[in-house]
Amino acid sequence: MTGPVALVVNGVPAPATDVPDDERLLDTLRWRLGRKGTKEGCRTGDCGACTVLVDGETTLSCLTLTHEVAGAAITTIEGIADDGLGRRVQSAFAEEDALQCGYCTPGFIVAVTGVLAELGPNATRESILDALQGNLCRCTGYLAIQRAVERVRGGTP
Amino acid sequence: MIRSDAALKSRGGASYGLDLETPGMLHGVLVPAPVASGTIRSVDLSAARRAPGVVVAVGAGELAALLPHGGDRDRPVFPSTQVLYRNQPVAAVAATTLAEARAAARLVRVDVAPAAPLLDIEDRYPEWPTDLATNAPGVVAHVLARHGDLDRAFRSAEFVHRETYRTNGVQHVALEPHACLAEVTDGTWRVRTTTQTPFGVREDAAEILGIPPESLVVEGTWVGGGFGSKGAAFLEPFALVLAAASGRPVRVAFGYRDEFLQDRTTLPAVLRFETAVAKGVITARRVRMMLDTGASLPGRDFATGYAIGFLLGPYRIPVFEMEGYAIRTNKPPFGPHRAPFAPQCVFAVESHTDSLARRLGVDPVEFRLRHVWREGDRTALHQEVGPFGATAALERAQGTIADWRRTLPAGTGIGVGLGFWSTSTGAGGEVRLRLTPAELVIEQAEHEIGSGSIVRGLVAVAERYFGIPADRIRVTNSPTSTAPFDSGVFGSRTAGALGRAIEAAGDRLLTELRSRSGATDPVRLESGPGGFLVVGGSSRRPLADLLTVEERRDGLVAEGRHYGRSGAIDTSRVVEGSFYPYTDFTAAVQVAAVRVDRETGSVKVIRYAAFHDVGTSLDPRMVRGQVEGGVAMGLGTALTEETLWGADGRMLNPGLLDYRVPTIAEIPPTEVVAIEGFLGAGPFGAKGLGEPPIIPVPAAVANAVTDATGVRVTELPLTPERVARALMLL
Repeated sequence: MTGPVALVVNGVPAPATDVPDDERLLDTLRWRLGRKGTKEGCRTGDCGACTVLVDGETTLSCLTLTHEVAGAAITTIEGIADDGLGRRVQSAFAEEDALQCGYCTPGFIVAVTGVLAELGPNATRESILDALQGNLCRCTGYLAIQRAVERVRGGTP
Repeated sequence: MIRSDAALKSRGGASYGLDLETPGMLHGVLVPAPVASGTIRSVDLSAARRAPGVVVAVGAGELAALLPHGGDRDRPVFPSTQVLYRNQPVAAVAATTLAEARAAARLVRVDVAPAAPLLDIEDRYPEWPTDLATNAPGVVAHVLARHGDLDRAFRSAEFVHRETYRTNGVQHVALEPHACLAEVTDGTWRVRTTTQTPFGVREDAAEILGIPPESLVVEGTWVGGGFGSKGAAFLEPFALVLAAASGRPVRVAFGYRDEFLQDRTTLPAVLRFETAVAKGVITARRVRMMLDTGASLPGRDFATGYAIGFLLGPYRIPVFEMEGYAIRTNKPPFGPHRAPFAPQCVFAVESHTDSLARRLGVDPVEFRLRHVWREGDRTALHQEVGPFGATAALERAQGTIADWRRTLPAGTGIGVGLGFWSTSTGAGGEVRLRLTPAELVIEQAEHEIGSGSIVRGLVAVAERYFGIPADRIRVTNSPTSTAPFDSGVFGSRTAGALGRAIEAAGDRLLTELRSRSGATDPVRLESGPGGFLVVGGSSRRPLADLLTVEERRDGLVAEGRHYGRSGAIDTSRVVEGSFYPYTDFTAAVQVAAVRVDRETGSVKVIRYAAFHDVGTSLDPRMVRGQVEGGVAMGLGTALTEETLWGADGRMLNPGLLDYRVPTIAEIPPTEVVAIEGFLGAGPFGAKGLGEPPIIPVPAAVANAVTDATGVRVTELPLTPERVARALMLL
C-alpha cells in the first residue's frame, strides 16, 4: 500500500505522495526529499549514522516508518543549527576536531543535541556518554567528541 | 587551525559514495555464490531477466561480448569454473529500482557442485608445513631468510623460550559502505566512487576489465572512512560491466551485511617463536608464521615477506631464521587493514618479549632498551637503521609507568608495547601548484578520507614551506583524466610524499619568480592585504606585477613530484621469497593500564598513553586525532573484534551486534606525546602517522593483562572468555 504523508522537516512542510507503508524515514529523507545530510549506515539501528530528532527525541531514521511520523516535527542535520543548542554542538565539533571522515558526524551532532536537551544541564558525564553509545565513530576514537560535548556544556574538556 | 572540511561535514553537506545518483540510473545487485567452494555447473539468468524492472543480467558467459578478450583471465569479473569463497559474486543484475534488482538477484539459479571448503589453516596444517611447502596444497607463498648458526646459538643458550600465538580476522567497519556509480558512453568508461586511490582503482579496474587505463576515468567522492578497505577496485568493475551491458548509468552499493560478508581484510595467523637467551640478552630467534590469505592475496609475497620482518621486533638479534607461509582458504581475499597485519605481529612479538623479560626477572622496558635499534644499527636483513625514536619513546614511557605505579590503585595492570613500522613508503605522487595574487591552489588527485592528510596535511606543508597563512591555500582534486598522478592515501605516505612534491613544485615557482623579479637573492612569498608579495634581498614586489594577465587569473603553474627511496637489504640472507627494505623507521610506544575482573575475565582499560616518533609534527591537532583514533580502533582489535567462521564458510557474525567495535563509553583517558627530532623522509623531516597508532595497542593491553593477573592470553582478541580460561588454568 502507498499513500500521502504530511511531513514537517526542519520546520518546513514537506508533503510526499505515494509513500509505501514500509518505507523508512531514512529513505524518504534521502531519496524522496533530497536531504542527504542524514547518512545511511547499517540500516539495523546499530550505528547511529542516520539519527534525527522527532519532536525533539533522538530517533534512528532507519528503524522509523515514514507514515509513523506524519505531522511530527523532524529535525535533520540540515536544520540542527536553527536552534541555539544545535548550533553550539555543530561549532564545538569543528573546534574540537570531533570529526574526521565525517560520515558519522551528522548523526552524532544530532544525537548530542538531542541527548543534551533531554538530559538537561545537571546530567552526569557518564549518563551522557551512555546515551551516546548507539553512535559509532571509527576515526576519532571518540575523545575529541567527548571534548566537544564538554565544550558545549561549558565544562573543561 | 580548524580543518577546512569541518564546516561542510558538520552541516551534512559532504557528498559520499552512497549519496551518488543520476537521472535514469539503474541499481545493480551482485549474486552471491551459495557455497564456499565448488565447481560451477551453471548460472541460469533467465528467470532473473524476466523479472519486473530488470534491464540486464550478466554472468561469466556474458563477459566475452562486453569486454575486450572477455577481461582479465587470471582475475575475471565473475568466475566461470571455481567458487573460491561463499558470497563470491558470480553474476549481477541491474534493474530500475533497488527492490526489483534484489528480487531478481534471488531468481538467479547458481548450480555448484560443492567441495569441502578449507576454513582453518590449522585444520590443513596441524603441524608445521615442511620445507617443500611451496608444493604443499594451499601454500601460495613461502618466504625464508636466515643468518648465523641457529643450532649452535640454541645449544649454547641458557634457555630457549618457545611460545605460539594466534590472531584472528578483523574487519574495517568504515562507517560508509562501498558504493559507486558507473557510466559507459562512446568507449569511455567512467566511474564515480568512494576510494582511497582513484589512480589505483583506475589501474586495477582497467586490468580486470581488460581495457586500457586511459579509457577509464575515476572520479572520487568524499570518503567515509577507508582504513585500507577502499584501496583497490572492488565494486567498480561490476558497476562498469552492468553499465556497459545496459547502456545506462548503474549504481552499485553495499549494505553493512555485504561489507561484513565480503570485506577483504586481515585474516587469522599462527605465529611461533623460539628465542635463545644468554647473559640476559637475546642471542638467537627462530620465528615462523602461517598466514591465512583467504581466496587470494594481492602481493602475497609482499604481505608475507613484509609482515614477518616485524616478528623479530625492532631489536638487535644477531642470529635468526624467519619463515612464513601464506595459505589459501575459502574466505574472501586477504586485504590491507590499517597497518596491515602489524597489530597482530606486534601483539605476538611484544607479548613474547614480555615473557622473556618476566622469565629473566628484568623490567620489561629495561629489557627492550637492551635490544632496541639505535640509528646506525643493522636490521636482520642488514639494512642500516635510520633516525629512530624508539629509545626516546621508551624512556618517556618509563616515566609514565613509574607515575602510574604510584598513583593507580593496587591490582591495576600496566603493560607496554613497542610498535615498529616503516612509514612514508616509496610510492610516488605529483602535485600541480597554481599561484595567483590571491591564493595558492594545490591541485592533486586524492580525496580526504578523514585523517586530514589532504585537507590539513598538504596545507600545513605549504604554509610552512612558503610562510603564508592557511587561509590563502586551497587544495583541490579532480578526476584521473586531469589530476596529477598519485599512488593513493595509504601506507602513512600521503602528506609525506605529496608534501615533498609540494616542496619540489614550490622550488620551481620561487626560482621562476626570482628570475622574473631580477632578484639576486632567493625570493620568498609574503602575504599582504592586497595579495602576495615576492620578497628577496631588498626587493619587495607585488606578485601581480610579475604575472601575465592570464597568470593573474589562472595562476603561475608549477608541477612537482616525489618518488621515495628505501635503503638496501642484504639479499644473501634471503633463501626464498621477497623481503623488502624499510623506508622511515617509525616507532610507537604505548602504555595501557587495565583492571581485570577475575570472575568474568572482562578487561577494562582505564588509562592510556601513546608516545609517537613523528619526526616533525606538521600539526599537533592532527597528530592527536590520528593517535586517539588509532588507539581506539586498536582497542577493538585487542579486546572484542573477531570474525567468526562456520565450517561451511559462512561468516557467523556479520553485523555490529555480534562484531563489537568500541563505543564512546569504552575509551580510556589517553595522553598523546609526539617525540620529535628523529627525522624522516617527509617534508621538514615528518614521518607518517596514519598507521602507527593502531600497531602497539593489542600488545600493550595484553601485557597489562599479564601484569594484572600473572597469566598470558596467547590469542587475539582478549575476550572475557579467553581471559577467564587463562585464569582458570592458574
